[in-house]
Amino acid sequence: MDTLNYLIDGFGVALAPHNLMFALMGAFLGTLIGALPGLGPANGVAILIPLAFTLGLRPETALIMLTAVYAGAMYGGRISSILLNIPGDEPAMMTCLDGYPMARQGRAAEALAISAVASFIGSLIATVGLILLAPLLARFALTFGAAEYFALFVLAFATLGGITGKNPVKTILAAALGLMIATVGIDLSTGVQRFTFGTLELYEGVDFIIAIVGLFAVSELLVFIEEKAGAGREMIRVNKLSLKWKDIREILPTSFRGGVIGFISGVLPGAGASLGSFISYTLEKKILGSKNRFGEGDSRGVAAPEAGNNGASSGALVPMLTLGVPGSGTTAVLLAMLISFNITPGPLMFTQNADVVWGVIAALLIGNFLLLVLNIPLVGVFVKLLSVPPMYLLPMVTMVAFVGIYSISHSPVDLYFMVAFGVAGYFLRKLEIPLVPVILGMLLGPEMEKNLRHAMQISDGDWMVLWSSPLSITLWAIAIAGLVLPVIVGPILRRRMKAGAQPD
Amino acid sequence: MLRLNDRVFGLLMLALAVAYGWGAQQFSEPFGGGEAVGPRTFPTILAVVLAACSLYLIVRPDPGNPWPKGRTALEMLIAVAVLIAYTLILEPVGFIVATMLAIGTLCWRMGAPPLRAYLSGLIGGIVVFALFNYLLELPLPWGVLAFVEGH
Repeated sequence: MDTLNYLIDGFGVALAPHNLMFALMGAFLGTLIGALPGLGPANGVAILIPLAFTLGLRPETALIMLTAVYAGAMYGGRISSILLNIPGDEPAMMTCLDGYPMARQGRAAEALAISAVASFIGSLIATVGLILLAPLLARFALTFGAAEYFALFVLAFATLGGITGKNPVKTILAAALGLMIATVGIDLSTGVQRFTFGTLELYEGVDFIIAIVGLFAVSELLVFIEEKAGAGREMIRVNKLSLKWKDIREILPTSFRGGVIGFISGVLPGAGASLGSFISYTLEKKILGSKNRFGEGDSRGVAAPEAGNNGASSGALVPMLTLGVPGSGTTAVLLAMLISFNITPGPLMFTQNADVVWGVIAALLIGNFLLLVLNIPLVGVFVKLLSVPPMYLLPMVTMVAFVGIYSISHSPVDLYFMVAFGVAGYFLRKLEIPLVPVILGMLLGPEMEKNLRHAMQISDGDWMVLWSSPLSITLWAIAIAGLVLPVIVGPILRRRMKAGAQPD
Repeated sequence: MLRLNDRVFGLLMLALAVAYGWGAQQFSEPFGGGEAVGPRTFPTILAVVLAACSLYLIVRPDPGNPWPKGRTALEMLIAVAVLIAYTLILEPVGFIVATMLAIGTLCWRMGAPPLRAYLSGLIGGIVVFALFNYLLELPLPWGVLAFVEGH
């Protein structure tokens, strides 16, 4: 019953008027960011971090706002999938399949409303799952020693590419780059300067917020210029909504199943939201059998991937909050937020910062209700903003990125760093080197080295300690599987996803 | 399809791994004698991992994406130059004017008509400036507009 008490306290935090206000603001901004084509949720949260930081918000308020942004971005992603046939990020791809045909048949408003309801149900189920599972996992994680943590970090990197990832070598390379950047600065346990070249600005290392904003937001600008996508695309007009109770009842079972599948794939390392929405779509297609008209604008074909997608994004918070190991780009950015507030995520957070954790979880529940309420009547507003062409939008986003970074330290040097990271991010994207492991390396690097040190100190320099307990051996085994499986299973799964993405 | 991209990148990363690894060996052992894991251990592991990955890329590269050419490449260089210039003039010229120039140029180069582009930059700059200076109380530089501030 501890959980219930904590949750009630959490609601106390989340329902405080100013927290509620920031949650509402976050939900609105998040939907907006998610709706903008090309700007995925990770980008959106990244741009807002410096703002949350410079506003001098208390940690729980900032986190509540960003959690609402995170949840909102998942809702918003469906708007551009349905109206423009452009997925905001990879998991939203499956929503295009039935959402866009529905919109073309003049049922855009219904598609948007149904996807909002499905998103709500998916998130709700997954948040309940989070409430039940997170404390258990946190208690279990208390038994982890330094060696187990080191193995866990390796596992996090190994499974980051996901089972559908392309080239695991590129994932490791990206992680190594991030970890290398993390070693720049004064070594915390010995005081030795590493790779600072005597430059004062590098003594404290490279700020990962600057790197995140540069890698995501600035490189996005360059990609847009290259693709000459400044003018935007033709959008389908939204009709007047006529939704009957029957329409909603029809998608309920689909949404429930989608939410559960999404939650599971969000929690598991290496699965992620893309797989969640894919599995729930294909499974639903099988379950409904000949009764479905998937691919031709079936409303259940909109509900299934949306519920799966949103379920996975709440599920992904489980490993992030309990182990401090994020499984996706956006949760990595949320982790950055926690670290910059000096809160170390992981099992101890559930005892030391209980108000923060449970406030966030409660905020997720409240955020979902806010989003449902926001999304059905306000969909017109979001659609209007979506019609602002990227040639105005992206420069404005760039300005917000500049202001955010500048107002943290008032130092132009940080801005140069941001631009440099932006250019580097562009090159990495062209070379298909994933950016998320770079960020994760920068975030986890110090902890990883610290745990390696602790493990070796306890064992007096015996490297065997790293794989001496059953738990750490299991973790290493999963990590190796995470690297090997994509090479074997990946091409098959990718082909299937592609085949599924084509209307047959 | 050309496989040169990954090869060149692999070579660059290999050079980085060697330089980084060599740099790591120069760190002095901490006072009081050697520990099991000193300041150089973790970086050395990373250098080895990076070197192994880059060797793999050199030997088995993926097909590369084409790079932008001509006009497009020039536009992208202009965009980067604008961002650097924005940083350079932000403090001396002030936020509003710098934003109008930089963001306006970006909008214009991405295809907006010049007048509307710079107007958008100006309005965006004024809104954000007002928001930050008055509502959030996070001062942004006034620059050449400092005379407006002097009441």
